[in-house]
Amino acid sequence: MMEPAIRAERLTKIYGQRLIAVNDMNLEVPRGCVFGLLGPNGAGKTTTLRLLLGLQRPTAGRAEVFGKLCGPNAVGVRSQIGYLPTNPRFPGNLRPIEYLDLLGRLSRLGRETRKPRISALLRAVGLLGATEQRIRTFSTGMCTRLGIAASLVADPPLLIWDEPTAGLDPSARRFTLDLIRELGKTKTIVIATHILGDIDQICDHLGVMHEGRMIFTGSMQDMKRRLRHDDFTLDLEGDNENLLRLAREASKIEGIEARIGPGETLVVGVAEGRSRSDALAEVLKAVDACNLSLRAIHSGQNATENAYLQLLQEDEAHGFGR
Amino acid sequence: MDSVDKASKLGTRLMPYAAILRHDLASLWASRLVRLWLGGTALLTFFLVAGNWTQFPDAPLIASVLFPYLVFPWFFVVVVLGVSPVSGSTAEALADGILSRPVSRWEYLLATWSARVTVVLAVYLVVVVPAILVVTLADRPVREDSVSAYGVISVLFVVGLVLTFLVSLGFLVGTLLRKPLLAVVVLIFVWYPIGLILSMFSLEEFSPVSLSRAVTGQLRRPWRQSGEEAKAAANMEDMQQFSEQLGSFFSRLSGAAPRPKASRDGFFETKEFEDFSLFRVTLGYGLPTLVAVILAMLSFYWRDL
Repeated sequence: MMEPAIRAERLTKIYGQRLIAVNDMNLEVPRGCVFGLLGPNGAGKTTTLRLLLGLQRPTAGRAEVFGKLCGPNAVGVRSQIGYLPTNPRFPGNLRPIEYLDLLGRLSRLGRETRKPRISALLRAVGLLGATEQRIRTFSTGMCTRLGIAASLVADPPLLIWDEPTAGLDPSARRFTLDLIRELGKTKTIVIATHILGDIDQICDHLGVMHEGRMIFTGSMQDMKRRLRHDDFTLDLEGDNENLLRLAREASKIEGIEARIGPGETLVVGVAEGRSRSDALAEVLKAVDACNLSLRAIHSGQNATENAYLQLLQEDEAHGFGR
Repeated sequence: MDSVDKASKLGTRLMPYAAILRHDLASLWASRLVRLWLGGTALLTFFLVAGNWTQFPDAPLIASVLFPYLVFPWFFVVVVLGVSPVSGSTAEALADGILSRPVSRWEYLLATWSARVTVVLAVYLVVVVPAILVVTLADRPVREDSVSAYGVISVLFVVGLVLTFLVSLGFLVGTLLRKPLLAVVVLIFVWYPIGLILSMFSLEEFSPVSLSRAVTGQLRRPWRQSGEEAKAAANMEDMQQFSEQLGSFFSRLSGAAPRPKASRDGFFETKEFEDFSLFRVTLGYGLPTLVAVILAMLSFYWRDL
């Protein structure tokens, strides 16, 4: 059987006998998947990634990448990984070509391989026009693009990107997500983030961390199946009174829970086993009956968010059961 | 063909070391600290030479030029250069940029250490060697002095060794304490009373002040005295003296009474410092340099970034 890309067994990291950053964590990331590592701030995502890279030493347990043990001098492990840190920092006095050339040398790439790859990467991340500039003059988006190129210099089979869309404008964010989708066809990618929208769009597998523990790992479908309800959000236009009347009327329909959401919205929960299309059709009839006009329907967009919040709530409710 | 393959494999193996070394040398050269130091040391050397041009013979004048490197103020710059690459925010930035690549921590540390030692020695030699040439070759209105080529080379070597040791000490304290400012303060408090500390262990021969006083005599020492025969005899004596000093050091350290001293003139009893031993000084600074680098590596290996 093929080794998974990443395997962690009972991985634990405690800082100075005070702070438990990663708590007895087990994790398997299959080869060839785009794995989203999700969790609130301080959940231990970045620490987990740094343990995999050997930048930190585990207090207990072990981590392997492609079957090789991770550690401070595990050069063989790091040669398989392209790492993009959150808000990457660069030597500002260098130009992008000089920086990528330095990284190519660190990866022991010969000139014949290094030079063409650097120009191909600069073209791919859209920095070909900025090769004359020093890195210190780069915007956040340009720095992220350079960080992406840096993580790809050695053409590693595993990419570990820590919050790759943090601080990016919409177009840069779109570019990054498209790139991840493209790279995901040939490489294993681990994306650590707390932006659920990104996870929804690009990941096929997911791990949820909370207070240093991995509280869920599985496919995106598994995650969404965990929802108690399938929710719709109707974006409406009309009187407030009519909106309240709609909420009352919709709640009378069998297997439907309706409540007023933020702004002029109605959140409709459909009970398990109830046909979603049928339920929606009945609610839409009620919208017409209440003299409201429908601006938009949002469905499924919040499914990951709801499932994620539900997981966190369940984990907190378990107390000693955790 | 086989040797070409081996050379190419070695080249590939050393590629990360060479890349970090090159990058660090460029960064250091571009840094204000190094440029200011180069300017400052050139200016100070010029004033020392010009100010004593008609007063000091060759040996004392060269010794006065070397004094700032051994005692004050350049010790401070050298220590700061040693501390910086492995402490504070620099360490975090380098972790993301360099140590997340297929580079071992040994390679990184050795490369940055080599870069700092190279820059420190380059600045020192670039300024001091021309100054010594000017002092020894110029026709000055002072009495003739018998400075030998061997004396000049051995003194340049000793001061270079002390500077290398200081960089290594900065490296070690930088890895242990993490905060660069704290590391520099600790080093200042350790290094300035070093003469006192060394005299407690009967090792005052190695204190920078003693070395700077011994420089004048060493500069006049001819090569002949350190010929093969003399060297063999001297080395035996040096080894004995060095082992006595080490024994005294460890017995003081462990709180035991020191062994009685051999019937040999104390270092300070001979005012001209003629018993200055290049061999002992080389061991006295070389071994701690090696130990400091190894300890810095071990400390860096165990450290979380």
